[in-house]
Amino acid sequence: MNISMTRIQAIFMKDYKEFSRNYAVSTMVLLPLILAFVYNKSGVNSINSYFLPINSAFAVVTAYVQCCLIAEEKEKNTLRSLMLSPASLADILIGKSLFVFIISLFVVALTIFLLGYNPANIGILTIALVLSTVFYIALGTLCGLFAKTIMEASIIVLPVMFIFSFGPLALSLSAAYPILEVAEWLPSSQLVILAEALESNFATMDVLIPMATIVIWSLLTWVLTGFIYKKRMVD
Amino acid sequence: MGTVIDVQHLKKTFNKEVALQDVSFSIQKGEIFGFLGPSGSGKTTTIKILTAQTESSAGNVFLFGRPANAMKQSHNRKRFGILTDNSGLYTRLSIEENLLLYSNLYQLPRSAVKEALDFVNLYSERKKKISQLSKGMIQRVTLARAIMHKPELLFLDEPTSALDPVNTQHIYNGLRKLNAMGTTIFLTTHDMGEAEILCDRVAFLHQGKIRAIGSPKQLKKEFGDDSITVELQNGERTTIQNGAQDAQKLYSWMKSEEVVRIYTNEPTLGDIFMQITGSDLV
Ligand SMILES: Nc1ncnc2c1ncn2[C@@H]1O[C@H](COP(=O)(O)OP(=O)(O)OP(=O)(O)O)[C@@H](O)[C@H]1O
Ligand SMILES: [Mg+2]
Repeated sequence: MNISMTRIQAIFMKDYKEFSRNYAVSTMVLLPLILAFVYNKSGVNSINSYFLPINSAFAVVTAYVQCCLIAEEKEKNTLRSLMLSPASLADILIGKSLFVFIISLFVVALTIFLLGYNPANIGILTIALVLSTVFYIALGTLCGLFAKTIMEASIIVLPVMFIFSFGPLALSLSAAYPILEVAEWLPSSQLVILAEALESNFATMDVLIPMATIVIWSLLTWVLTGFIYKKRMVD
Repeated sequence: MGTVIDVQHLKKTFNKEVALQDVSFSIQKGEIFGFLGPSGSGKTTTIKILTAQTESSAGNVFLFGRPANAMKQSHNRKRFGILTDNSGLYTRLSIEENLLLYSNLYQLPRSAVKEALDFVNLYSERKKKISQLSKGMIQRVTLARAIMHKPELLFLDEPTSALDPVNTQHIYNGLRKLNAMGTTIFLTTHDMGEAEILCDRVAFLHQGKIRAIGSPKQLKKEFGDDSITVELQNGERTTIQNGAQDAQKLYSWMKSEEVVRIYTNEPTLGDIFMQITGSDLV
């Protein structure tokens, strides 16, 4: 697979310019920040509640925005034009993810700051947050590739966002509904489990299992995304 | 020389509906080849197959001696440029920003953007956003993007359908210049005049089949009847055949100074299309 930094950078710059002029999508960035601010004022301080705004940042900023950006490229036929240029699959997917990746990390960091959340092991948590971002970008890209228009995309992405960001909530209901225990294996739940482990004396496995789970979700989603992309290259 | 495009017995169906049937033609390096046909005849479908955007249902398609599928490879995509009816431009970006993106994707020097803008007569308007442009301007930006990397082969899907006469002429001149430098051009149109002015050879496409193929001159000779019409002093118009018998008639009229005008009855490409298919081009 050939990768060109010039091309990736060109797509990134293009996305940045478009995003800054696209208020319908760019204002979505404010949502988790407002949520974090309100949470902080209401005085919550459990790990579980900290992760509601954090996971919603992944859903609303990472997955949703990425999905909209990809769907718009499809609707306006610009994705097809990119595919006809010498840009490779990797150039386009990396270029189109890089922008949302940076925005996401920035928003998540700001969310954590606004929450007043002080993680015990910031190094490991950062790795987990970065891995999560990579997964949610894949999820958004996949949803965007399935949709033909932006309208369609926002309908497809809603249930997906709901399932993935409210995993921890489902988990808290699993005493009443045992079937919801599967929600434990969602990347959002694993992130909370990992963050909770970090606050006490954790064993290596307490960290490795959630990380591995997130990575596996990520890999599977990216492989599927690459496959769907190849299919979308031809009518 | 060499064959740039070679299509053999191409067939394309969309869920049982036949879009192309037994289409065969080849295009030599340096040719301007016109694909003429009414709406729905399969022109865009052919371009999509040639550029590996759609798979054919049967037949063989070669570009530069390789199967069309090879055009999916990055380095082969540099060899062709394409203009389609849906522009694929970023509407929130300016003309210049759009072209700058593509100059980077093709890894061209910055000067390529200005050259391309001059080619389509848009340099002075380069700061305008795509969302503010007219249809004709968008078509010119798309053309600028298609030619920016100086491809060996250019696909133009109705390149002048939204242009005014002045810009159409400007584009024709530009295309001739590109062609003179060796660019092979495959163009679709339903404008017979355009085909006649620009194309070395044309193919008539009707309901997914090629009905005739050749240079405009050849086709006219083949489908014309070699007759001429003579208008006389008394207002009478007579059609006579090119031959010894009618030459005598013409000679005597000329001798008695009765001839006012002589017209050739050479058919236009539109007439020929009508004659072959029994239907109009648009
Ligand atoms: N994706 C598709 N799915 C189903 N049918 C299609 C598809 N694309 C094209 N067709 C059909 O194939 C036929 C040829 O279409 P095509 O777009 O190639 O025509 P065209 O000659 O380019 O027409 P126009 O001058 O209007 O652009 C039409 O009957 C069209 O309905
Ligand atoms: Mg068409």
